[in-house]
Amino acid sequence: MSTDAHAVTTTTEHSPVAGLPHDARGGIGNPVLGMLLFLTSEVMFFAGLFAAYFNVRANAPGGIWPPLNPETNEPYFLQFLPFVLPATVLLILSSFTAQFAVWAIRRGDRTSFLRNLSVTVVLGIAFLVMQAFDYALLYSEGITLDSGTFGTTYYTLTGFHMAHVFGGVIMLAVVLYRGLGGQFSSRHHDAVEASSLYWHFVDVVWIVLFSVLYILPGSGH
Amino acid sequence: MATQALAPAARGYRSGLYEWVTTTDHKKIGILYLINSFIFFFLAGLLALGVRVELAQPGLQFVTDQTYNELFTMHATAMIFLFIIPILAGFANYIVPLQIGAPDMAFPRINALSFWMLPLGGILLFLGFVTGGTAAAGWTSYAPLSEDAPLASPGYGQDLWIMSLVLVGTSSILGAINFLVTIFKMRAPGMSLFRMPILVWTMIVTSVLVLMATPVFTSAVIMLFIDRNYGGHFFDPATGGDAILYQNVFWFYSHPAVYVMVLPAMGMISEILPVFSRKPLFGYKAFVFATVAIGALGFSVWSHHMFTTGAVWLPFFSLMTFLIAIPTGVKMFNWIFTMWRGKLTFSTPLLFAIGFLSMFLIGGINGAFSASVPVDFAVHDTYFVVAHIHYVLFGGSVFGVMAGFYYWFPKMSGRRLNEGLGKVQFVLMFLGFNLTFFPMHQLGLAGMPRRIADYSSASGWQDLNVAATIGGFLIAFSMLPFLANIFLSLRSGEPAGDDPWEGNTLEWATSSPPPPYNFDRLPEIRSERPLFDARHGRIGH
Amino acid sequence: MSSTPRTRSLSGALFAVLVIAILVALFLVAIAAGLNPAAAVTRVVESFFPPIAVTNQGAEIRVLYDIVFIIAAVIFFVVEGLILWTVLRYRRQPGDNELPPQTHGNALAEALWTIIPTVIVAFLFVISWQTLNAVEAVSAQPALKVRALAAQFQWQFDYYDESGENIVYTQFVPQGEGGGMAVPVGQDINLVLESRDVIHAYYVPQFLFKRDVVPGRTSVFTFHIKPEDANKTFGGQCAELCGSGHRLMTFEVHAMTRADFDAWLQEHIDQAPPPPPSGEPPGSGEPPPGSPAPGETNNPANTVIQIGAQNTAFDTAELEVAADQPFKIEFDNQDPLPHNVAIHEGSPTGPDVFTGEIVTGPTQVTYDVPPLPPGPYAFICTVHPTMTGTLNVE
Repeated sequence: MSTDAHAVTTTTEHSPVAGLPHDARGGIGNPVLGMLLFLTSEVMFFAGLFAAYFNVRANAPGGIWPPLNPETNEPYFLQFLPFVLPATVLLILSSFTAQFAVWAIRRGDRTSFLRNLSVTVVLGIAFLVMQAFDYALLYSEGITLDSGTFGTTYYTLTGFHMAHVFGGVIMLAVVLYRGLGGQFSSRHHDAVEASSLYWHFVDVVWIVLFSVLYILPGSGH
Repeated sequence: MATQALAPAARGYRSGLYEWVTTTDHKKIGILYLINSFIFFFLAGLLALGVRVELAQPGLQFVTDQTYNELFTMHATAMIFLFIIPILAGFANYIVPLQIGAPDMAFPRINALSFWMLPLGGILLFLGFVTGGTAAAGWTSYAPLSEDAPLASPGYGQDLWIMSLVLVGTSSILGAINFLVTIFKMRAPGMSLFRMPILVWTMIVTSVLVLMATPVFTSAVIMLFIDRNYGGHFFDPATGGDAILYQNVFWFYSHPAVYVMVLPAMGMISEILPVFSRKPLFGYKAFVFATVAIGALGFSVWSHHMFTTGAVWLPFFSLMTFLIAIPTGVKMFNWIFTMWRGKLTFSTPLLFAIGFLSMFLIGGINGAFSASVPVDFAVHDTYFVVAHIHYVLFGGSVFGVMAGFYYWFPKMSGRRLNEGLGKVQFVLMFLGFNLTFFPMHQLGLAGMPRRIADYSSASGWQDLNVAATIGGFLIAFSMLPFLANIFLSLRSGEPAGDDPWEGNTLEWATSSPPPPYNFDRLPEIRSERPLFDARHGRIGH
Repeated sequence: MSSTPRTRSLSGALFAVLVIAILVALFLVAIAAGLNPAAAVTRVVESFFPPIAVTNQGAEIRVLYDIVFIIAAVIFFVVEGLILWTVLRYRRQPGDNELPPQTHGNALAEALWTIIPTVIVAFLFVISWQTLNAVEAVSAQPALKVRALAAQFQWQFDYYDESGENIVYTQFVPQGEGGGMAVPVGQDINLVLESRDVIHAYYVPQFLFKRDVVPGRTSVFTFHIKPEDANKTFGGQCAELCGSGHRLMTFEVHAMTRADFDAWLQEHIDQAPPPPPSGEPPGSGEPPPGSPAPGETNNPANTVIQIGAQNTAFDTAELEVAADQPFKIEFDNQDPLPHNVAIHEGSPTGPDVFTGEIVTGPTQVTYDVPPLPPGPYAFICTVHPTMTGTLNVE
């Protein structure tokens, strides 16, 4: 951040944002800073939903979590397979390809950039499709949005995540479209940086969701 | 020394409707924010008059219980979300880029989007009046009263409330992102952080609060929406949901929100007092640290709104609430000692600023009563709290808005406002405000709860209620000289020139109104008062 | 008008206006108090304080309030005085264009006005915390346990026996004739708070205390009324917005000696009709007092009229029945609330000629009503007096 009136301002190599592209005066570019701030607000949004989840879980009648499905008298059960675990793997992969795309355009390699970005979009769509199938499976097992607090929190959390993935896919598709039109170069590719940051955020949120909803003791499996 | 005048003046540029609707210029957007916000101020004020008229006498004379609940719910919701938060964002939108020597905000199109979400959100909110009833569970909309059940909140009103506030909240968040990027990335050379005007500092802290707290509110009302419309169970105690969960998530935002509602007004006061005292702000750095401290502490006190639930870690929240008084007190003294040994000119902006100091002092003091948990057990949910709210938000924020309006109107329009009318407005508003809200301390202590449509004649509460109602009408009348002043000034007011007040900050270094690109040349920036330095040389630094 | 400093006359005039306004206000208050200045001053001073506390806990809160008030008043006068002094003393004289000393700060002053408020605030926090511990302490061996059950829009008070396990009497009428929450003075009473529906709050201004009643949670607090406050009645009211009937949720607390209280409780238990025989339909909610002739009658010529209650309202506003013969009322209470049907002569406030048993729904009950002479009557719910209708007997 600029503190000295005269010298050309720079971001030090050690700053956490050092790797991100800088504007003419040094410091990260406006769109990237804007995206980072936006992601902060999104983290807080999910924080509110997670707070609700943990609260509801702590208040579960009899301390039973997951609660018992009134129809089967068994605890609600979320399966890793056949959809969720592969979907998670794909999403993590898509973060890698998104980052490869960023690195590629930073060094001017448009071909690699476009290829990796396309793969990212496809993987994002695949994630959405698998999630949709998973929802259908859960619905058929009687876990619905109004299945007590369990269903409500599960679908709210994963549903908003899916909405964010959907938004991210659209964003990446637009960037891909612009990239195919030759709008990005190694010096000017703010939109690529910003949208890949968003995509990593979406992935991190999923990892947290997956851990809390599926892996955390008492969450099924 | 004259300011850096621009030639030719950009004043001649007249804008048509199309220009206003499609503009991305922060100055026009700022004015749009002001217009929209004042419209909702008047609407919400009418709702308040409805409340006051009903409460003047025992017995329900004018409205039903349900309608009364709608009146105060909509009054508060509109005042908070459609008036005070946006109008401060609007002032900041206009002034901050000018004060930092920037040509516009960082994201002008997002700036326009942020604005246009507001009239849309306002229409959605008020649509309840024609779809069978607005929200009526208080602006706090506690679950389960706000859930979709008979005798609770069936119908569309509450849903419209939720949708409107998600829109308005998003507008706020986008604005915060815009302010932060603009302030951190687009300051003129020489303007280090500790040379920024205080208003810019308060906008940094306000924007951080908006950025981090508003999304939590969005999550709370979305969860309520899911409960209401999709069979959710977040707040349904029968199935393991928790009514207190709603309060926690709600107040986690709504407490920092009160600082969003007051910090920019404090920033404006901090511009006005130095100019009209002809001295710098006393303790600039301490003021900055105090503002940051208030922002940080503001995240740690939310449960002081829930002391009587029995579900709160009382000592912690009480302590943090008391602690906030300290930076607030520091600021109060900084302001007073800015005036101390100064040479005060009692133009209307200064009158409103002094009114702010006196009224906010009372609001801060009666807040300390509520910070003490056992005292809060007596005064919570009574008119004592209504007094506190209005002393800080009206006596504080609205007086600050009026001060800022009189101060910056010449810059925005190129015309001066009439001082005589301004003083009439000030006196009427000051008297009306105190007559309305001071008796509420007494009413609350005597046991009158909030949000009741009526009270018995045996309670003895009528006299003070009558006083409050008279005061309410006085406040309404004070709007007449205000509106007359604006109308007359725009039509035939005295030209303001670049710098009618001998201001300290960069916005006075360009024409009134500024050209679309704001500055042709900037003065040298060596302190937080670049224009003062240009005018007087760097004395006292 | 230019920005040059105003002359003394305008700001002086402004100040004079303010002073006059304040004097006028004081004068009006004096008039309101009956033109007796001493009484007026006392009333004004008292208005800055809560009512005199009638409980030990309330008295502790009052002491704390007084300390907070004194500190607040001192701070107000000092700071406001500073503001007024500054505003009056440092006015710019006309024609004075010299800058005042451009003081940027003063480390000592800033340190002082940071440290002194910190000390004051720490003191306030500590004394508040001490009072809080005294007020919040729940008695392990209360002399009486009562439950206040809040519902839209009425309070109900359930009295427990010594074990604290069994409810021996339910007071359905929260105030007025024969109603209210009777309690003994001079002993610890535990009040248990539960809600049937939305959040309410139990607030008695003279206790200087309130506690929210949250559905899904049980809250308890202890209060101990001072012996000298026996034979007094305190008003109370719901203090958390609970819907369109929020302002109606008032109640009374009747303080009495333990001996009087025991008599009151026993008398009410005796008056309440005995519990119904085992043939009664299940799901009647709380153990209801049975109606005088429990549902069985052998007269085949009985007329039957039907009344339902839903959403705290009767489903019919007008009924007719033949005079001079007994008849039945089939009452369908669809609310999860206590209702009944009572018949009064002439109007809802006229003499009471029949009172049906209060039942908590959803449930049905049949009342046997004795013959009534012809004339206009009103029917009303004893628990919710806003539920009324007319009954024509001819």
